[in-house]
Amino acid sequence: MTRSVVSGRKHLREEAHGGSASFGGNLGLAVLIVIVFLLPWVLRSRDYYVIVLILCAINVMLAGSFRLIASVGQMSMGTMAFAGIGGYTSAILMMKLSLPFWAAFPLAGLASTAVAAAVAFPFVRVMGIYFAMLTLFFGEIVRLIMSEWGSMTGGSTGLLNIPSIGILSFAGMSIDFGHLLPYSYFVLVIMFLTLAIFYRIDRSRLGTMLPAIERDEGVSASVGINVIKYKVTTFCLGSFFIGLAGSLYAHHLRVLNPDTFGLFPSIYILIYTVTGGRKRFPGPIIGAVVLTVVPEASRVLKEYQPLIFVVVLFLVLFFMRDGLVSLPGKIAARIRTPREGRAANA
Amino acid sequence: MLHGLYQGIFNGLASGLIYILVALGLTLLFSILGILNFAHGEIYMLGAYVVYYACVGAHINFFWSLLMSAFALGIFGILLERFVFRQIRGDMEPAVLACIGLTVLLQTVAVIAFGTYLKYIPSIFPGILKLGGLRLSKDRLLVMGIALVFTSALLFVISKTKIGKAMLAISHDAEAAALQGINVNRISGITMGIGCALAAVAGGLMGSLLQLAPYMGTFAMTKGIAVIILGGIGSVPGAVIGGFILGLVDGLAPLFTSGTISAIIGFSVIVLILLIKPKGLLGHD
Repeated sequence: MTRSVVSGRKHLREEAHGGSASFGGNLGLAVLIVIVFLLPWVLRSRDYYVIVLILCAINVMLAGSFRLIASVGQMSMGTMAFAGIGGYTSAILMMKLSLPFWAAFPLAGLASTAVAAAVAFPFVRVMGIYFAMLTLFFGEIVRLIMSEWGSMTGGSTGLLNIPSIGILSFAGMSIDFGHLLPYSYFVLVIMFLTLAIFYRIDRSRLGTMLPAIERDEGVSASVGINVIKYKVTTFCLGSFFIGLAGSLYAHHLRVLNPDTFGLFPSIYILIYTVTGGRKRFPGPIIGAVVLTVVPEASRVLKEYQPLIFVVVLFLVLFFMRDGLVSLPGKIAARIRTPREGRAANA
Repeated sequence: MLHGLYQGIFNGLASGLIYILVALGLTLLFSILGILNFAHGEIYMLGAYVVYYACVGAHINFFWSLLMSAFALGIFGILLERFVFRQIRGDMEPAVLACIGLTVLLQTVAVIAFGTYLKYIPSIFPGILKLGGLRLSKDRLLVMGIALVFTSALLFVISKTKIGKAMLAISHDAEAAALQGINVNRISGITMGIGCALAAVAGGLMGSLLQLAPYMGTFAMTKGIAVIILGGIGSVPGAVIGGFILGLVDGLAPLFTSGTISAIIGFSVIVLILLIKPKGLLGHD
């Protein structure tokens, strides 16, 4: 009895704490965004750092989209197939039809969405681990088609010399986005727009419905949620941003190869999200950034380098089942508990 | 043409039997622990390397090397179950995390310890058996024989022994099985051990037919997953039948079309099965 009261009070306090954090959070968020936008400028003297930053931003988009799709309980293992469709679409449109990037970029997202929509209705009926395997084999099919359809995709060698996104002029100023620094700003802007949309979804009515579908489809359907509709919607919407990310990737690397979009890269997106923590919005962002930066930073380890990745994975697995995003809360709880213990004794 | 057909069937049966060994471990582990072990291919790879080093390094007879490899990886499997998989029973997200962590770990260890150069296990049984115009390599015949022995041994264990019956009970309902006095953890460990031992044998056999590389496991893992989807995840007879089907498709398809196209067709069939009958051709529930 007393215990339940205490835990209830603690819960209230945590809620109040969360409220104040979100008030201060707005300022913190603004500061964070400003810092992220300053980063390419600060790091501009070393191309390598800017490249890692671009990779981070693209992986954040991919992991965020994965989280949206997974929020109804669909763990896709074919994420990169849709990124591949986006990347190849915008590259081929620019190279074969010489469309400008500003037309090819949205079309890349739409192409990915179109494929997603074509397969979504049968796919979303398959549940759990079966959905994971379904998307895994679908992804492999897409990859094999990319390496077989040589006339279009350059086969297993892939596409070379993909054009940069070009020069944009306005108000007498022209910026060449082919250069690394302007390109990194472009990628960051797209990433923040994507995250803003995901955040809006997360905080909307839809954002409360999707986890309900994950928890129990039958009950969700019985209270009037159109389960199939929302599963299809999240799958298509997520695929749109995955397609955009794929396009950003293509024009960043300027070469594309089917192996970039294989099974393991797809599973890595899942890993980013789960490592960061899938239940909370910042989770996939943190996971993608940490798991992109940490392996890059440990390149000095040469062939031992992948072990760092393994260490992070196992730390999360054994100590932070809710992901890296739960780490600050855990530390805070660890610091607070002894004092509360003393108060209870007194 | 007809000749090529027979040859294709022969080769298909040989690889089919190896796929079955891989798939049996996957399917057993899935039915007992509810985990799809993405690191199973890495056990297969390690098994192949143990055979290689025992055979080529220590000049031990191939059969003994194979048994040693099965034993070593079986113990490894039991340890894995105890310290990793038992903690994440039936939980998909941590399971993927653990399996991919293990995959990267074991691949990295293999690259560091064994190097990336291809290695070859010398032919155990060189020569060719001529049978009415058919040329059957004795190597493949031997591999088929060994795989058949291990598969039948497992089928015997599952259908006739107490351990097998306990496995079946757990796969139906772990809680009810525990209430009947079955030690679920012990059986899970044994299952994982058997699965890993079979994967090690499969790796050794495939290594003796083809070559060894640190990344050879991915191929086996994809094939293994395809087999258990064909046969129904968790079904032991399904894994056997699925293995033969996939082996025959792999043996025969190259006669008619390019390797990539036949792979696309094969994966499309699997996608269709998952869409129409997700529990597989022989799936229950």
